[in-house]
Amino acid sequence: MKIAVFPPNSLILADMVERRGHEPLVIQKEMRKKVTDPEIDSPPFNITEEEPIKGLKYAAIEVPSGVRGRMAIFGPIIDEAEAAIIMEDAPYGFGCIGCARTNELSMYYLRKRGIPVLEIHYPETREETMEVVNKINTFLDELEKPEETEGSERTGETGKTEVSKLGNEKTKEQGED
Amino acid sequence: MSPENNQGSSEDDKVTRMIVLGPKAQLSQSELVSKLHMLELPLTIKATCYGALIYGKEEVVMDAIGQIRDLDPSNIFTKDRGFPPGDPRRCRAKRGAARDGFHQLEKEYELLEYVCDALENPKRVSLKKPEKISPEDFKKIVQECEE
Repeated sequence: MKIAVFPPNSLILADMVERRGHEPLVIQKEMRKKVTDPEIDSPPFNITEEEPIKGLKYAAIEVPSGVRGRMAIFGPIIDEAEAAIIMEDAPYGFGCIGCARTNELSMYYLRKRGIPVLEIHYPETREETMEVVNKINTFLDELEKPEETEGSERTGETGKTEVSKLGNEKTKEQGED
Repeated sequence: MSPENNQGSSEDDKVTRMIVLGPKAQLSQSELVSKLHMLELPLTIKATCYGALIYGKEEVVMDAIGQIRDLDPSNIFTKDRGFPPGDPRRCRAKRGAARDGFHQLEKEYELLEYVCDALENPKRVSLKKPEKISPEDFKKIVQECEE
């Protein structure tokens, strides 16, 4: 299964997912498309004015272009995800992950997708880390058994309808624009 | 198809992987690099302070990752990287400061020792959140405490 991880550049989360035979959806794969393209329109990276326009699918026009630009990269990960692991309160906030509002929006969309979501907090101690790793492994193992995926920590029983509603509203708004 | 396009498509399917050794790893960075060389796979290998960077075709890179992981499964961690090794846009030598993403790697490295412990002693845990208690039950508990 394709698992979105948040923070999307986390070494621990991506590695855990891969160890259990799933495919982690990480930001580096999206960035690779932007930096290894033979035709780079906007050096040094291929982040062009098209990105904030693509981001309109996820954020309104009033939202800063930085958030929309980031959402253009995070968006495909969110759309592609079949399950997600969200680690909140991660202490690093550098580089492409350094926008708190984008992080909030991405987590919101992942929760609203209606896919199984595991929410954990960034561990600080040995005990917390061991619990987090065990939780991730249990979650990933249970994903392979669809009939048992109704854990109370999963969200999104009504997610699908909400997403479709959101989608309709956005189409209307964009239509008016 | 022009030769340029051919070259472009061959570069497109190349990926970069970071191999990070945990603090309790049974092999050193130089051993890791020599093991990677001994695999004799068509890869670009770069030794780094945390382990190594490998660059090549995706299937070759994944093959190498699988073989290297077997050396010390709970202490070798891997992560994708968008930029090729030594890319001047990211390389520390050209930019003169810590590479983007280094601080995150540094922070996560602190937890790798515990992650390794958890991987070696796996436990099945419940994902259920503790349920809320009813006000009646809560009142009973308060009364019991007051008595």
